[in-house]
Amino acid sequence: MDLETRNELLKLFKTKLNQAMRLYLETCTRCGVCIEACHVYASTGQVKHIAAYRSEIIRRLYKKHFKLRGKFWPSVGEAKELNDMALEELFEAAYSCTGCRRCMVFCPFGIDTQMLMSIAKLLLIGAHTEPEILTLLADTSVEKGKSIDLFKEGFLQGIKNLEKQVVKKWALEAGETAIPVDVEGADLLYVALAGAHSIIPAAAIFNAAGENWTLSFFEAVNFGAFVGDPTKTKLILDRIIKEALRLKVKEVCICECGTAYRVMKHLSGTQPFTVSSITEVHARYIREGRIKLDKSRFNQATTYHDPCQIARNAGIMEEPRFILKHLTDDFREMSPEPEYNWCCGGGGGLVALGEETLDFRMKSSRVKADQVKETGAAILATACENCHTQLDNLNDHYNMGVEVKFLSSMLADALVQDGSRRVQPI
Amino acid sequence: MRDDINVDKALDLSGLACPMPVVKVSKGIKEIEVGQVLEATTTDPGSLTDFPAWARTSGNEILKTDQDGDTIKFYIQRKA
Amino acid sequence: MQSLYYFILVPMVYFAVAVFIIGTCVRLFNIFKASPHPTTLQIYPEKKSKFLGTLLDSLLFPTIRRHKPLLWVFLMVFHIGLILLFIGHLELIWDLAIFQIIPHDPFLGKGYLGLIMAVCLLFFLFRRMLSPVKELSVPEDYYLLILLFLIVTFGSEMDWARRIYFYEELTVEDYRDYFVSLLVFKPELPDGIIFSGHAFMLVLHAFFANLFLIFFPFSQSMHSFLSLPINKLRRG
Repeated sequence: MDLETRNELLKLFKTKLNQAMRLYLETCTRCGVCIEACHVYASTGQVKHIAAYRSEIIRRLYKKHFKLRGKFWPSVGEAKELNDMALEELFEAAYSCTGCRRCMVFCPFGIDTQMLMSIAKLLLIGAHTEPEILTLLADTSVEKGKSIDLFKEGFLQGIKNLEKQVVKKWALEAGETAIPVDVEGADLLYVALAGAHSIIPAAAIFNAAGENWTLSFFEAVNFGAFVGDPTKTKLILDRIIKEALRLKVKEVCICECGTAYRVMKHLSGTQPFTVSSITEVHARYIREGRIKLDKSRFNQATTYHDPCQIARNAGIMEEPRFILKHLTDDFREMSPEPEYNWCCGGGGGLVALGEETLDFRMKSSRVKADQVKETGAAILATACENCHTQLDNLNDHYNMGVEVKFLSSMLADALVQDGSRRVQPI
Repeated sequence: MRDDINVDKALDLSGLACPMPVVKVSKGIKEIEVGQVLEATTTDPGSLTDFPAWARTSGNEILKTDQDGDTIKFYIQRKA
Repeated sequence: MQSLYYFILVPMVYFAVAVFIIGTCVRLFNIFKASPHPTTLQIYPEKKSKFLGTLLDSLLFPTIRRHKPLLWVFLMVFHIGLILLFIGHLELIWDLAIFQIIPHDPFLGKGYLGLIMAVCLLFFLFRRMLSPVKELSVPEDYYLLILLFLIVTFGSEMDWARRIYFYEELTVEDYRDYFVSLLVFKPELPDGIIFSGHAFMLVLHAFFANLFLIFFPFSQSMHSFLSLPINKLRRG
C-alpha cells in the first residue's frame, strides 16, 4: 500500500471518530466477558471471532495512527500499521461479524462491535476491497431512486399482475384496489422488498384491516448499510423519505427486513410521519379488532426467532409474541430474554453474498440450529427476510425439521373473512 | 426484429428471495461474452425496477422485457 | 541513596501527578469534543431509569455478575478495595470525620486490604495468562496488573512493618507531614521517612505508584472515567 492510499484511508477512518466511536475505541479492558457472546465463536471456538478480538483489530490501527503512545511505544498496546495485511484482517473481521450486537449485552461497558466494524467496512470500501456485489446492489438501489420515472410503467404492470393473488387471500368489494400504488394522501406507505412474498400477504392484511395504504416504488432493504457506506446508506434511505413526503403519508411501514427497519427508524430523523415495522402495525390491527384470525389454522408448536435489528437493536419484542398468541396455542419461547437471542448468522450482508458465504454461515450458526431444535417446534416464524433465508439454509443443513415462515404470511393465511365480505372465487 | 433474440444463456430466478435475482443475474452476465444475451426469468415484480436500474449501473442493456402473468422475462445483452 | 529517595519522593511525585492530571484531561477532552453519534445506540428492551441504570451498570458490573460470577467477586473486592485505599490515603492528608464512623487509625484495613487486593491482582494476572483471555490481552494489560501488584504489596508491607514489626519510628504523623508539605509546595522529608528501617518500602511503593500515575492516562485504566458515559450509550 502506498503512502497516498494509506493517507486517504486514514482520512476515512477519521470521519468515523465521533464521540461514541472514541469511547468504544478507548474503553475496552479486554476482560473477556464477551467471549461467549458471539455465535461464531460459540459455534467454532476460534479466538479470532471473540468480540474483543475483532474490536482490537480496529483498535490497534487506531492506536498506531491516532494516539501518541502508538507512535512512541507501539508494542505496549500492540499498535499496528495500516497496510495490505491489515486490510485482509479487517475484511475477515468485518465480514464474519453479523452486527447482531449480542456482545454489547455482555460487555460491562456496552461496547458496540457493529460500530467498530463499520470502520473496517468503510476502509475496505476506500481500498476497493469490499465485496463488490454489495456495492453493486447499493448502486442499483441508488440508481433506482434517481431514475424511477423510467421504470414506473413496468413496475405498475407487474404489481397489477399480483393483484389476483392478493384477492385470493382477501376478497375485495367492487371498486377497491388490491395493491394501491402512488396514492397521494394515503395514511400509510408500505415499503416492501422486491419479492412477491413481501407484497401479497401484506396487501391482503392491509385490505382486511381497511387501511388507507399505498405501496412504495422502492424496496426497503438498504444495501448501503450492509456494505457500510454512509453516503449510499443515506441516498437509499432518502428515496423513501422523499416518496413519503410527496405522498403526504402519516406512517411509513417497513416490511419484514431488519436492516431496513432499523435504518429507517433510527436514521430518518424528525419527519412528519412515524416509522413502524409491519409487525407493530399487525399487532395494532389485532388489538384494535380490525382483523380477525382463525387460531385453528396453525395447530403445530410454533417458535419465533427475534431478528437482531428488529428486537435487540430496535425494540420490537412484545408485538410478535402478541401476534403469535392469536395464531397458536402452542407458542414456545426460543430465548426467555429476547435480548439474548442468538443471531441467525446471516446479518451484516452475509446472506446477500449468497453461496459465497454459505459454508461459513452454516458453520458459524450451529448454536442457532441447536437453539431452534431445543424448542421442539414445527414452525419457526420470523419477521426478517435475511433471517428467513439464513434459517431456511440452516434448516436444510442441520436437518432442523421445521417449517420456516414469515410471521406476516402466517397472519395472512389465518385471516377470517366474515359474511359482509364475500370470498370471491377467482 | 427483436422478437428473434438469440439467447446464449438462460437463468431461472423464480421464487428467489431478495436480493438473489440481482446477485445471480450479475454473476450470470459475467459468464457470457460481450454482445451475447442472457435470458433471466423472475416472478418478483420488484425486478421490474431492480433489473433496469442494475443494467444502468453495470452498463449492460435490457433488450426486451416480457410479462406473462406472474412470470417476467428479461433479455439482457452484455455490453461491458 | 538519600538523593535517590528524594528524587522518587519529591520531584517524581510532582511529575507523575502532573502527567496524570494533564494527560487524563487531554484524553477526556479529545473524546468529548468529538461530535455525538447522531442516532441512538441503545439496546432494547428499553429500561425505565436510564440515569440510575447507567450508574448501577458502571458501579456494580451486572453483566459480569451474570456471565462470569467468579471474576465478578474478585472485581468487586478489588474495586471496593481501591476506593477504601483511596480514602485511606486521603486520611494521611486530613482527618476526615465522616470516615471515623468506625474509629480507626489510618489505614482501616491494617494492611490486609492490600493483601486481598494482591490476591485479586494475581487472579487477574493468571486469568490473562490462560487462553482465550491470553489472546485478547496486550502487554499493557499485564504491565498494569504487575504495577498495581507491586504498589499494593509494598503499601501493605509498610503497614505491617509499623504494626507487627514495631518499626514505629515512621509514624502516621510523619506521612502526614510529608504529604502536606508536598501539597503546599514546600516539600520536606521527615527523618522518619528517610532513615527508618523500612523506608525502602515507602520509596518502592511511591516509585511504582508514580509509574502507574504516569502510565494511567495512556492506558486502559481510563475506563474508570469512561465507564459512565459509555454505559449511558447502551441505556439510550
